[in-house]
Amino acid sequence: MDLLNIINNLLKIIGDWIYGLVHGLVGNLLVTDLITMGLAAIILCTFAALSFMGLTYAERKIVARIQDRIGPNQAGPFGLLVPIADGIKMFTKEDTTPTAADRWVYNIAPLVIATAALTAYAVLPLAPGVVGTNLNVGVVFTIAIGSGSVVAILMAGWGSNNKYALLGAFRTVAQLIGYEVPMLLNLIPVVLIAGSLSLVDIVNVQSTLNGSPGIPFVLYFPVSALIFLISGIAETARSPFDLLEAESEIVAGFHVEYSGMKFALFFLGEYVNALAVSFMFATLFLGGYNGPIFPPYVWLLIKAAAVFTILMWLRGTLPRIRVDQMHTMNWKFFVPISALNLIILLLVAKIFQPGNAAMPWVTPGVQAMATAITTLIPFLAGLSIASRRLRSQRDAAEALAETRRAANRAAVTTSMGGAH
Amino acid sequence: MTITLQTIIFALLSVVVLGSALFVVTTRNLFHAALMLILSFFGVAGLYVLLESGFFAVAQVLVYIGAISILFIFAVMLTRGMVAMPRVNAQAQLAALVSVLLFVVIVVIVNPTALSIKVLPGASERVLGGIPWQFTTVTTITDSYIKQFGASLVDGSAYLLPFLLAAVLLDIALAGAVQVARERRPAEVLAERELMAAEAAEEQQREQALDTAPETVLAADHH
Amino acid sequence: MEQGILNGIPLHFFLIVAAGLFCIGLYGVLGRKNAIAMLMGVELMLNAVNINLIAFWRYVRPETPAALAFVAFVFVVAAAEAAVGLALIISVYRNTKSVDPEKLDQMKF
Repeated sequence: MDLLNIINNLLKIIGDWIYGLVHGLVGNLLVTDLITMGLAAIILCTFAALSFMGLTYAERKIVARIQDRIGPNQAGPFGLLVPIADGIKMFTKEDTTPTAADRWVYNIAPLVIATAALTAYAVLPLAPGVVGTNLNVGVVFTIAIGSGSVVAILMAGWGSNNKYALLGAFRTVAQLIGYEVPMLLNLIPVVLIAGSLSLVDIVNVQSTLNGSPGIPFVLYFPVSALIFLISGIAETARSPFDLLEAESEIVAGFHVEYSGMKFALFFLGEYVNALAVSFMFATLFLGGYNGPIFPPYVWLLIKAAAVFTILMWLRGTLPRIRVDQMHTMNWKFFVPISALNLIILLLVAKIFQPGNAAMPWVTPGVQAMATAITTLIPFLAGLSIASRRLRSQRDAAEALAETRRAANRAAVTTSMGGAH
Repeated sequence: MTITLQTIIFALLSVVVLGSALFVVTTRNLFHAALMLILSFFGVAGLYVLLESGFFAVAQVLVYIGAISILFIFAVMLTRGMVAMPRVNAQAQLAALVSVLLFVVIVVIVNPTALSIKVLPGASERVLGGIPWQFTTVTTITDSYIKQFGASLVDGSAYLLPFLLAAVLLDIALAGAVQVARERRPAEVLAERELMAAEAAEEQQREQALDTAPETVLAADHH
Repeated sequence: MEQGILNGIPLHFFLIVAAGLFCIGLYGVLGRKNAIAMLMGVELMLNAVNINLIAFWRYVRPETPAALAFVAFVFVVAAAEAAVGLALIISVYRNTKSVDPEKLDQMKF
């Protein structure tokens, strides 16, 4: 029993021990708080950076297997030393600065992106009682920090003194701020049912504490979870939304002029952001650290890893989408569907609220089923309408191209017939 | 007055806010001005946190830094002139004087009574400025202020109407901004220029007619 | 607790900072030759107003949300005005290739 208790509360026990240690060394409570907070920040950042290393390796291997090849296997057994090789490569590359680039802006941009990516981990609940800081506005904080990285992208694009970097930065920013809208709209149902903006409260509602039903929010709002996940992928500019750093197209976009350690920081920012999106999805929709047998932090890691595997799966499978397709999907499909969902959800969640005296058979499970079904209907309807429209557009374009080709063929044969 | 950690943080944040604001209004490079504006907004968000209203700190970052600053940067990029423009206009010194005067006046007024200025020291105890802040016994607040605020926004007898009006305002601003800043297609641009040329020609005709035969033009106007 | 002091910061400190920000914004609006720089001054002034509102809310009447509603509406109005103002500036720039407001003193270009 004692060992089980220790394993379940391992993080909390370690945290309390460190706190006691520092308090013993320094008598002042304020200074103890500051020092332990600083240590916690360092540990979180180290965790994020180490997981970045493991993630690059896992991504390359998994995407390779999806694409029917092996992936890196030369550096170390099974290619396990690849992240270290990558790190050495990044460190030893020459650190160039373009002439006539704005020194301050050019140099600070990667720092801002890395900082913004790492700050999102501060409000993540890792285990019961283990959270960087229990902000009562944790959800909005994460989104706000995400918009901080948007500014850094503009700084990078402008500071490079390069027209293509600037254009790439503009397009990237258009994508990022466009996909913030469905992300926020689809967070609102979660906040509605949980009754609080704090991530700790949201995770507690999805557990069986205090009589809460213990239903993960993905069963309440499958459509919102899906759109949130897709918006999250678009926010981090990962494939299939990586049109703006596509090496074959716009020459790596806004970070074309960066090399060496600064590029490594951009790279780190992208992966840390993707991992943060996975953690957010796991916390908001999949129930955070709740789970039956394993310790809580293990459950959180399993869920986040599962979400990240989905991200890698999408990267290996789907082709890159075009910029106009991406904007069409966002503004003409996601935003109306999210708004419509929100209106329907407000009504249904209020009608089927548990604790309603008039309808005592309404339990949270019933509420979950009602919200799920009533939001799936407009989503599927919208999908079918959109796909039918797009198919008819595609057919019309194809017919047009076919007539042109037939005319071409006719012209060629007449000219050839005339020549003979 | 005791110096706590919050006092030090407040001093640092004030320096950040005011320093970057000064940079914004005195620099020639508009992109740097936009970046310093972002820094100022961050500082103001920090001040909101000191005032124990964390929700508005996050809202400030989300709205001002996440949206308005990006608008500013886009506008700066799209309106880069070919000629380097002078930084200040003709009334800049007067504007600076007015600003400093206003600042002095406000500072004198908001000081609490204990620090107010005696106009005529000695005989009569007239004070200049000074507001009795003794009514402020600062109570502690809990986090329920967000819930109260949200409830007041949908309460018919509270702020529901301004809330809906604000939503309508945002809709109109969105539609208007998109329409005004829209990139005109070449056909549209030519049509606009034709229209402007036609109006200019008509105006010129009217001027000529006024010079030669003013009575007929004014009579025609009255109909 | 001392009167008018929260965590070691008296109320008038916040008001002085807000006044300073307001006056800097005022100089930006009145003394600059570029329309976008003038708009930046306006944003600074609106921020100063917000600081004032929240400071008074916290120190004097934290139990009513009246000031918070005002703050929210100032956010909304600032965003809407920045959007429309910048759209207008971009449109004017397209037609006259300059963003100097002193050149726009006629009702036509």
